Amino acid sequence: MKQDEAMGKKEEEIDRSYREWEEGVVKPRIRKFDLKTSPTRFYTPRRDNGHGFLEKVGFPGQYPFTAGNQPFEYWQAFARDAARLGYRPDWGGSGRVGKYGGFGTPADYRDYLLKMHSMGRKGGPNIAFDLPTQCGYDSDSQYCAGEVGRVGVAIDTLEDFGIIYEAYTGEMDIDRVPSNFTINAPAAVIIAMYAVLAKKRGIPLERLEGTPQNDILKEFIARGTYIFPPGPSMRLFRDTCVFCTRSMPSLNINSIGGYHMREAGASRIQDLAFSLANGIAYVEAGLSGGLLVDEFAPKITFNAFGGSMEFYNEIALQRAARRMWAGIMKERFSAKNKRSMQIRQPITAHIGCISTTLNRPLNNLVRAVIGGMAAGMSGSIPGAFPPFDEPLGLGHSQEAVQLQIDATRIMIYEAKVADVCDPWAGSYFMENLTDETEEQALSELRKIDNMGGAVAAVENGYMAKAIARSAYERQKAIENQEEFIVGVNSFTEENEIEVMVNRVVEDTYDQELLQTAEQRQIRNLKAFKRKRSQRSLARALRDMKAKALDDHANLMPSLCDCVESSATLQEICDVLREVFGEAQPVKL
Amino acid sequence: MEQESRVRILIAKPGLDGHERGARVVAFGLRDEGFEVIYTGLRQTPEQIVRSAIQEDVSVIGLSILSGAHISLSRKVLDGLRENNAGDIMVLVGGIIPDKDIEALKGIGVAEVFTSGSRIKDIAGVIRQHMKSQ
Repeated sequence: MKQDEAMGKKEEEIDRSYREWEEGVVKPRIRKFDLKTSPTRFYTPRRDNGHGFLEKVGFPGQYPFTAGNQPFEYWQAFARDAARLGYRPDWGGSGRVGKYGGFGTPADYRDYLLKMHSMGRKGGPNIAFDLPTQCGYDSDSQYCAGEVGRVGVAIDTLEDFGIIYEAYTGEMDIDRVPSNFTINAPAAVIIAMYAVLAKKRGIPLERLEGTPQNDILKEFIARGTYIFPPGPSMRLFRDTCVFCTRSMPSLNINSIGGYHMREAGASRIQDLAFSLANGIAYVEAGLSGGLLVDEFAPKITFNAFGGSMEFYNEIALQRAARRMWAGIMKERFSAKNKRSMQIRQPITAHIGCISTTLNRPLNNLVRAVIGGMAAGMSGSIPGAFPPFDEPLGLGHSQEAVQLQIDATRIMIYEAKVADVCDPWAGSYFMENLTDETEEQALSELRKIDNMGGAVAAVENGYMAKAIARSAYERQKAIENQEEFIVGVNSFTEENEIEVMVNRVVEDTYDQELLQTAEQRQIRNLKAFKRKRSQRSLARALRDMKAKALDDHANLMPSLCDCVESSATLQEICDVLREVFGEAQPVKL
Repeated sequence: MEQESRVRILIAKPGLDGHERGARVVAFGLRDEGFEVIYTGLRQTPEQIVRSAIQEDVSVIGLSILSGAHISLSRKVLDGLRENNAGDIMVLVGGIIPDKDIEALKGIGVAEVFTSGSRIKDIAGVIRQHMKSQ
């Protein structure tokens, strides 16, 4: 009898909360996009079921955001218009953010971008930098032979940076389109170049939008393009965080990568715990720079957790991640702003490139669709990623890209995967799986906290070693047939046929330009060095060194001064190497 | 096993690329297969790799390359070994290698190429076969 009454009360509370959510969250959003009705639905249980629905799941767009950041996303508001207009997105970008890319010299890449713009592919620069740039070396460095302009564009100087932006003027000027910089260790220098470029164009800094990756911790853990030791690297992060918040408040501060760690071998729980631990370290760095949490936390972004074929688990991961980050921001950092508590990421679930196979590659399309389904059921566009020919290592073919884009469209428009928000909410199974994922990640997070946080766990090599060990465990499980991968360690008999496809490789970058880029860029750099003023250069570098020695100083104004005084990327990094020292690789 | 434990292998990552999952997994795996494995860590120049191989007196070098620079980097290592009278060291390459480049790599003297989906057992098998024929 008493239990029934309590149930009745809880039921009323769920009903009342639903009505409040509709009025307070959904309707304003419908008005915001000038729609008639919501493009999505959300279901609640009639009764609480003992899961603590209101506390642990709640409504999309409300704390703890388990059910999603919003009742519907921007793309959903305009999905029908996009279909009627035959909108063709560039994968890896959106209407405003261009496709991720970069090659050769800055002039090579500028010309490529101009060609793309003339074909209607107009998005802001989403720049891939070559490895020398990512590691803080100039194109003429002895360490860079054969690598200049290869996996991205070569940037040695502010002049180089400006050449790329010759493709962005007028209606595509830098106060109109956002810029993305996939760079970490020298991110501060690239942000300085962006600020100086705006100053030269007379554009106020507060109008600059975009996202520098600026996530150095995962470089130590998973990706390897570090320069300075973890401590000084975090000081550079602090300085960019304060500078962006105070001077470029529309710019995101960074993009924290869980996906890179997963690709390097991290388990799902490691991905989640390490990403959140890194996020905590970045928030602490911002606070140590004298900022208030809600001033800058809304500009911390994530690059996407995830990267496996395990459909249910990847959905649970997204739900657990949102709830955990919201809790951390609210409880640990006393954030008040809802945006400080949300995980902002371009996509949610996905299979990761690591799940694609070289054997029988067309199967990768099926795999990508499964990742897209998980994404559509966990709060983002149901994106099929990557194109099936990803592991062939030759660039994506036109066919593969078309199949990928169509797969996403079929999931949106025909299967209507994203018409219901968090469709798994309230499922006994999914709520249990979400709880389990959260508990395991919390326990790993506590371990890192006890070591002294993410920076300490990077310095002692814990995270890098744990990931290497997980990668090896996975390899053993595959070789011992404890895990099965179709066409790789099972179903490989002679009667299985390779399904053939025609592949016309999209001629992404001019091969001839790629071959000669290094030579041409070194020539450009030599000419640049001859014509600059040595005196102002020496003064700027000297001043910057003094600031680097003073841990309380913010280096950003000096870095802006250096790039404006024609210092090269390596000259700046060499001064910092002298002051900060260099990071040492983790020994296994 | 007795004899195998004396086989020394250098796993090396030439160039600036930092994706070391493959290198680390192969290093762990070959160690479990009973070989003595030395991993150089990231950002090694071909000259450093040749020097380490000679100093460590290895019989096999495994180069892990994902940056697309596999042909030029492998050639530099092979040339360096020959110049230092160490041309008998077997060089294996692992990574993202397009089919058409596999033959090219074998043409310049790489003994075998292992792409994504390869098994440690198979890598170990190739090394054992090579040691038997020495």
